[in-house]
Amino acid sequence: MTITVDRRIYSDKCISDVVYWLSYCYTLERTIDGDFEKITVTSDGGEKFRTEFFRRLNDCKLRSIIETETKDIRTILYAKAFGDFDCLTAEEATE
Amino acid sequence: MKKYALLPFNFIETDGKEVLINELGDMLVVGVGSVEKIVKRLPIDDDLYKSLVANFFITENPLPPLLDVYASRLKLKKGFMDDGTALHIFVLTLRCNQNCTYCQATSRDENAQRCSMTKEMMANAVNLMFHSPSKHLTMEFQGGEPSLEPDLIKYGIEKAEAINLTEKRKITYVLCTNCRNLTSEVLEICKKYNVQISTSLDGPDFIHNANRGKADSYQKTISGINKARNFLGKEKVAALMTTSELSLNYPKEIVDEYVKNGFDGMFLRALNPYGLASENDDWRRYNERFINFYKTALNYIIELNQNGTFFREEYATIILRKILTPYTTGFVDLQSPAGIINSVLIYNYDGYVYASDESRMLAEKGDYTFRLGKLSDKYEDIIYGEKVRRIAKIWSNEVLAGCSNCPVRVYCGADPVRNHSTQGDMYGFRPSSLFCKKNKAIIEYIISLIAHRENEVMPIFKSWLR
Repeated sequence: MTITVDRRIYSDKCISDVVYWLSYCYTLERTIDGDFEKITVTSDGGEKFRTEFFRRLNDCKLRSIIETETKDIRTILYAKAFGDFDCLTAEEATE
Repeated sequence: MKKYALLPFNFIETDGKEVLINELGDMLVVGVGSVEKIVKRLPIDDDLYKSLVANFFITENPLPPLLDVYASRLKLKKGFMDDGTALHIFVLTLRCNQNCTYCQATSRDENAQRCSMTKEMMANAVNLMFHSPSKHLTMEFQGGEPSLEPDLIKYGIEKAEAINLTEKRKITYVLCTNCRNLTSEVLEICKKYNVQISTSLDGPDFIHNANRGKADSYQKTISGINKARNFLGKEKVAALMTTSELSLNYPKEIVDEYVKNGFDGMFLRALNPYGLASENDDWRRYNERFINFYKTALNYIIELNQNGTFFREEYATIILRKILTPYTTGFVDLQSPAGIINSVLIYNYDGYVYASDESRMLAEKGDYTFRLGKLSDKYEDIIYGEKVRRIAKIWSNEVLAGCSNCPVRVYCGADPVRNHSTQGDMYGFRPSSLFCKKNKAIIEYIISLIAHRENEVMPIFKSWLR
């Protein structure tokens, strides 16, 4: 079974996240073809798999929008909360 | 509606509602479809909009005016990182006078030789404990059965008391005992040094005796509990249960046993895959059954509270403290960065320091991955050594695949030891992790109770936090 996903709609992060969680139950092979990604399921998942795949993909897309949009503010927040850069050597800071 | 920016948050869906959770663990229950409206800037009602602003889910300014407050609260949530290791477990011996079917500590016979700590080891261990910067130190004696080593308990406490004349720390002593051997000598030590007793009570006699491998175990434990209460005071005795396969069939009976014996709370604790317990042949099935057991028992406890009996479930209380208060908890299993090393250190009878209780259990099976150094080593070499630095790279769930974008991450923790022991690597693979499955199921269940039965459960949950 092969599922085709439009990479202009779903980011690589979203697809990777869904593949990560489903890889426990299914064997998945990813192939990129231009703007599309083909996901071949080597174990037989049937229509149930397709439904679950797209449910997770759409769920992940919404979370991903929030994550992307709030990335900078999260960095500032964590820096304000835990930043103690004076104590780090240059080597430690880049470790 | 003004223009707004999103602040970091995630969400779960639960039976027709969405629950928004921000980086601080603050929750907001909204209707299904609200997240999509918020993200796509579709119209939302005024009250929801105000709640989202007030609770740090969205901001009308690119840099929220209360960002410093937000950052301070985040720092408070991770306060345990600055406090230093507070829990210090001293494994005095592997000798034991019971034969628990699920023994996680690989205990040995009561008369076994060369499996107890020496006084020299104890002295080194106590010295190491005082190198922790924590103002509060808990010195916990474990085994085997530590009450079989009263001289060592006394020696360790006296050593700690002597050092503390100048250190001035707040020290809590805890003796983890099965209560079979609470001799006058042991109880006198407990009374003199204000030692708390933590014992094991698995439920009614037929469960407790079956789990503990002796026909008189229940009767001995109950009489030991009563003896300790009479001598030390009721508040000095706490009990823990471990959920064996047999226990899974009797959630209500186990809760009733605790109520009957005058406890005002209990910790519904799952088996961990260490020691004899690791030989369980189907952990996946056990995990599924434990989740159902937990839900049934928790609902029953809520019912008891509704009927006027104050009774607290401790695991839920830890999670509720994370949800409903600005504070951190000292509970090792649900911390990120992980509780190992940061919140607990183990001084083992074999002369070595380990990262957690489970780490020393692995060592009994020949796996020394989490052995950090010798009791005679310098504290700095142990705590800042190469091994700890390696573990530290994967001990925060904020940076782990499968955890970093989990909606309940802020309430959960990282457990490199469990990952290593069950999956063969410290990083772990969340889709097949039973630790992940169990914690997620329980946390989401507690959130769903708040979302759907708020008026009913919140007064009870709040009373557990007092």
